Amino acid sequence: MMDAFQPKDARYMNAGFRLAVPWVFAALLMAALSGCAGFREVRTFASLSASAASHEAITRDYIGALDRRKQYQPEKFHGNLDVLKMRRKAQQASLDVLQQTVADYMQGLGNLASGETRTFDRSLGNLSANLNKATLLDSNEKQAVGALSTLLARAATTVYRQHEMKQLIREGNPPLQEVIRATRKITKNGIIADLQGESALIRRYYDNFMFAPGNPAEPVAMTLAKEAEAEALGRVDDRIRSALSYDAVLDRIAAGHQYLYDNRNEIGSDALDRQLRPYIDALRAAYRDLLDVSR
Amino acid sequence: MDKFTSDDAFELGNQFRDTAIALGDWRIKNRIRLSRSQWDELDDREIKLLNAASNLYTSAIDLVLEDSRGTLACLQSSVKNAKSAVHRIAIFKEALDLASALILCAGAVTSGNVAAIPAAIVALEDAAAAIVDSGASGA
Repeated sequence: MMDAFQPKDARYMNAGFRLAVPWVFAALLMAALSGCAGFREVRTFASLSASAASHEAITRDYIGALDRRKQYQPEKFHGNLDVLKMRRKAQQASLDVLQQTVADYMQGLGNLASGETRTFDRSLGNLSANLNKATLLDSNEKQAVGALSTLLARAATTVYRQHEMKQLIREGNPPLQEVIRATRKITKNGIIADLQGESALIRRYYDNFMFAPGNPAEPVAMTLAKEAEAEALGRVDDRIRSALSYDAVLDRIAAGHQYLYDNRNEIGSDALDRQLRPYIDALRAAYRDLLDVSR
Repeated sequence: MDKFTSDDAFELGNQFRDTAIALGDWRIKNRIRLSRSQWDELDDREIKLLNAASNLYTSAIDLVLEDSRGTLACLQSSVKNAKSAVHRIAIFKEALDLASALILCAGAVTSGNVAAIPAAIVALEDAAAAIVDSGASGA
């Protein structure tokens, strides 16, 4: 109705615009939808991995073990234990770097997955004000152009982040798997095996007390020794359980990242998000177990 | 002789540890036949074996750390790339301010020049693709 009051040229232009609008909207919508990816589960996985990968207590315990063991060995061996402790202290920085590198990598992946888009939305905030000056658009059209322009620009950031994530996962997976393999090897074959040696040391100590030739068989003393032995062995078992839980956490991180690597071309799709969830659930359960055991 | 690997060292540590445990079991089983000095001597050997096992585990961990140094450097570089990628996203947002200005221009154009809209969209898509490409070539 308002068209009737507009100059003739303006009416022609308006008619031309209206012919173009469906095409423009379709193009904007396609561009927006093609990059309308969500990285929610990738973000969750990365954030959980970053928190769980760093378990400095295990390294501290590996070094502190030598001081603990002094009480179960005659003093003549303490010098050797001190030397060994110095060697382990020299390894501490490298061991921490192994863990921290995995945590940093996951932090980087998480940051990519959670790229802030609100700042960008604000930068488009003036768009609607400027669109109001476009007198040949009615209010619905202005609103639609504004909304789709925002979507399109968001899609551009999404496409960019998606590209960066694929590249990071493609390049990061081989060394990440290698670093996790090395950390797991140290945990299982070194730290846990060494703790099993500590259990043997504790048993030997209390066996000496209870069974050494010439030691009087005092029932009360025997009972107390057995209780003390059980407590000491229980503490070592807790440490072994904690190390095993950490190993399980690393295993879940490796599995989840391998899945992302194998399906990196699907990053941003709902299907990948859905299929990543079981990996996240498994990691969350392992991390919860680690926190429970390490308490 | 082949290079002594971390697996060899871990395995050797296990052998020492398990031997110490086996000796301890034997000592307990045969305690009636052992004098105090024999008992103590064997006990001494067990401690030495267990400490030797701990030494070997520590050496094996050294070897693992040494082996992983190359891959660690590679991963650290990926981590660095991730951080710089996040940094580039921040710059891209600034670039998007420019892109949004272009959209504003396009909006202005639409009011008087409908034919310019597709070109403005293509320009925006090109700008986004260029940033992605520069991210790819810069990585």
